[in-house]
Amino acid sequence: MGGICMKKVIYLSIFMVGLLGLSLFSSSSYGANTIKIGIVDTYSGPPATMSQDVLDGFKMVVNEINAKGGILGKKIEFVTRDEKFKPDVGLAMAKELVLKENVDLLMGTISSSTALAVSDFARKEKIPFLVTNSRTEKITGEKGHRYVFGIAENTAMAGRAAAYALSKKPFMKYWIAGDDYEYGHSIAENVWNNLKALKPGVQLLEQTWWKVGESDFTPYITQIMSAKPDFLIAATGGATMVTFAKAAKATGLVARVPIYQHTVIDYGVLGPLGADGPEGVYGTAPYLFYYPDTPANKAYVEEFRKVYGRYPQMFALFGYSAGRLIEKGFQKAGAVDKEKFINALEGMVIDSPVGKLEMRACDHQLQLPMMFGVVKKSPNFKDFLVASDIMMVPSKDFMPTCEEVLKTRKN
Amino acid sequence: MDLIYTIFSPKLMSQIFVGLSRTVILFIVASGLSLILGVLRIPNIWHGSLYMVGAFMTFTISGAIGGGSLGFWMALFLAPLGVAFVSLIAERSFFQHLYEREHIMLLLLTFAFSLVFGDLVKMVWGMEYKSVPVPRVFQGSVHLFGGLPFPLYNVFLLGIGPIVAVALWLIVNKTKIGKISRAAAVDREMVGAVGINVSWVFAFVFMIGCLLAGLGGALVAPTVNVSLGMDHTLIMEAFLIVIIGGLGNIWGALLGALIFGLAQSLGILIWPQFGIVFPYAAVIVVLLLRPTGLLKSTW
Amino acid sequence: MLKNTSGGNGRIVGGAVIVLLFLLPLFLPRFYIYLISIILLTGLLATSLNLPLGYGGIFQFHHAVFYGVGAYAAALMITKSGLSPWVGFVVGPFAAAFLSLIMGLICIRLSKLYFGMLQISLGSLVWIIVYRWYSFTGGDNGIHGIPVPEIISSQNNAYYFTLLVTLLSLWALYKIINSPFGSALQGIRDNPVRSGMIGINVKLHQLMVLVIAGFFAGVAGSLFIVVDTAVFPDMLFWTLSLEVLIMCLLGGWFTFLGPMLGAAVIISLRTFVSGFTDYWTLPLGILMMLVIFFLPNGILGYIQDKLYGKIAEQAEAVEQTDLAQPAVKES
Repeated sequence: MGGICMKKVIYLSIFMVGLLGLSLFSSSSYGANTIKIGIVDTYSGPPATMSQDVLDGFKMVVNEINAKGGILGKKIEFVTRDEKFKPDVGLAMAKELVLKENVDLLMGTISSSTALAVSDFARKEKIPFLVTNSRTEKITGEKGHRYVFGIAENTAMAGRAAAYALSKKPFMKYWIAGDDYEYGHSIAENVWNNLKALKPGVQLLEQTWWKVGESDFTPYITQIMSAKPDFLIAATGGATMVTFAKAAKATGLVARVPIYQHTVIDYGVLGPLGADGPEGVYGTAPYLFYYPDTPANKAYVEEFRKVYGRYPQMFALFGYSAGRLIEKGFQKAGAVDKEKFINALEGMVIDSPVGKLEMRACDHQLQLPMMFGVVKKSPNFKDFLVASDIMMVPSKDFMPTCEEVLKTRKN
Repeated sequence: MDLIYTIFSPKLMSQIFVGLSRTVILFIVASGLSLILGVLRIPNIWHGSLYMVGAFMTFTISGAIGGGSLGFWMALFLAPLGVAFVSLIAERSFFQHLYEREHIMLLLLTFAFSLVFGDLVKMVWGMEYKSVPVPRVFQGSVHLFGGLPFPLYNVFLLGIGPIVAVALWLIVNKTKIGKISRAAAVDREMVGAVGINVSWVFAFVFMIGCLLAGLGGALVAPTVNVSLGMDHTLIMEAFLIVIIGGLGNIWGALLGALIFGLAQSLGILIWPQFGIVFPYAAVIVVLLLRPTGLLKSTW
Repeated sequence: MLKNTSGGNGRIVGGAVIVLLFLLPLFLPRFYIYLISIILLTGLLATSLNLPLGYGGIFQFHHAVFYGVGAYAAALMITKSGLSPWVGFVVGPFAAAFLSLIMGLICIRLSKLYFGMLQISLGSLVWIIVYRWYSFTGGDNGIHGIPVPEIISSQNNAYYFTLLVTLLSLWALYKIINSPFGSALQGIRDNPVRSGMIGINVKLHQLMVLVIAGFFAGVAGSLFIVVDTAVFPDMLFWTLSLEVLIMCLLGGWFTFLGPMLGAAVIISLRTFVSGFTDYWTLPLGILMMLVIFFLPNGILGYIQDKLYGKIAEQAEAVEQTDLAQPAVKES
């Protein structure tokens, strides 16, 4: 490489070494006496509120565990990394957490793309990865393996639960619309295929797909309304739901056509909307802070409110479950050993605000129940709407069987 | 007669009207961007952040004044002014020192600001979704074209659009400072040579442009999820509109926004899955046919 | 890039640095090897952008498209065709170069800002196609678990491969810039009218630059697959194009190694600041502001300025090629 000036190269090298040296100061020195957990998630942009909810639920459990002296005498330390919804950044951060910070366990992320990439990495590095928020069924399905665990409900589960409930309703002519990305299509497909299996007479009129982050739904809604379907399955992601609800109300869609949306009854959606909430819309969610009204749930909500000053959304349950799984998993394993931890998690049952939850051994998917309800005003809450006429569908009624899931994996 | 009826079917007319109301927000934001790019030669990436800040400020102000209709109107008035104020401070402290530098450096600076503000908004307002209620007088919809609903708030937007356009045109073409700005866009040395303080002219134009971004954000707030990430949604579309319209040209921004918005609504009718492609295709066609933009630019 | 007379000394130090880079895996922890791999390929991407941008004066605003297309072409070739992955790694850059040719032919009639905006529009169309065609491209999930040849699959070997390919590519780019073609290119950048008058086919030169730049962007894309075994639609999005542009400007777009330095700074900052706080874009923004105000020619430009002062002349020449030119150029 002739012709390059000597001093420039020297300066360049010094600069680079200096930057690398910086990292020595940024590396966190945790004692050998802790269990270290690395969390990669998106804490910026529209998904941030959901990821923060997961973290809050998790932190609550961690603080409780550490107050009691930790697990096996070791306290839990966790570090978070914000991938800003960029999968290449998320993957790099996961690698940093494992290779540099030497975490014992990985957790994350709301981005399905990152989750799948990190899952692949976790398999190669043989480190457990708890997927707390990604909803793609591929995590424990097609791309499942020994080292990855699914905690959030996935689209296969949600779709089936919704189909189960919808099959009991009289609607026949359906329209499907939603966010044009994998999550949207997956939810819609799962709802539709299962519905058709349960009720063969249903008819699909048409499908409409808009870009993720669409802000103006009126053109799409008018198109749908002019076709006059009996029912609309709206496969929207969390961030879009608030905007869609507003458009649906403003155009009068809500009054004319019954709609179903997964997670629309979550407090994270109905809370911000306040009185503007979409009354009459059907929805599913794995957790509602006001139902079931059990002592366990009440205690959880009260604790959450005391610490964070707000009601928990459904995502906090995932963080909470992750915390409990970690606690009981290491306890049962008897050591901070990754393989023993995984063995311990398979088939493990934890206590939660919604009852006992089992981490299914065959596919590593947490068996959550699903609430199905319709959005209505409530006498108990003045500031926002809630789900009512709630049907709690137990997981065994809608989860895909072990055979079905394992068949999707290429072994 | 039948042919005319099928061409101008209710569905089509409805889509057109909806497309028009969508363009209003695009136009307002793009016109601000066009002014800044046309007169100051700054590709203002920070514009998106200011749009977002406008929406968030609307949320806070309307919430502080009780959240009802009065709150919204006050916010609509105050939020853009707040944004303009912030932009003025930024311009006087940072931007004005770079006018002699390459424009690509100014682009970088606006990008740096958008990075900083992205995090600032998160720190100040937090992560949860926020919602601004539609003022009572505009709730509900009116039924045009075969009973298809057209939200009253969109009617309001359709009314605001021309008002803003005319107001801008008056400022730029009929006021003294407007004329000076246009002159400075073409030849700033000359304007300085006749004794006018070009620096403050630029500050004024920058402020107006940013105020428009804030106004766009305030107007869109009742219809969308006010959340982080709003700064990225509009900025690319706004730039494209400015380019096809002609830099610094208000009517160009309007025309560009119309093309963009209508292309999208009609595209949805024709090919629902790939409706998003139509506006970009329209931009490409315009750029190939009239590279400097449809209307006269100030460059 | 101005030829320097201290060639002899430069060779020795350059050689030492290269040897050092090859020895790194012996004493650096695994994570840093991974990080440096990423920096190398991103730096290559930035350098390939600087060919049209800094040396050609072309407003290449959506360079990431070629990176992403190169990566996707390679990934699809590997996962769908059943041929050896090496075929995929070769197909990637050529696919990127081909796209660059097509887009170049469409965009070349415009200049400056309008060229950039047209490129963004076309590039966005490509992104939309990749993003929405899940059955083929994996849609928003991207493609994961791409099989990589045994010999370069371990992290160290992936690093060596990346290092080797990057060095070869940089060498090739350097040779191009210092060839008669490169001089003609810079002449076109500084004064297209005069260059045309002395018989240089301006458009053809620019088109060739775009194709070369696209090719090496595709190489960077293939390298990404070697290091991370995945591709994501983000790789084609305009925000990445903007980031790569910033790497060039931050590092110094009048210098050859500036973009590489810019890549190193931004990636290191992103990685290490995350260790302290989740708000890592804020320090990046502030760093950018500092560089813009105090280091106008980028970091490396500043360093060279201090040493030689020649960079200021170079900078002035480039300044004339800026946004102030008429939009539609004469042919």
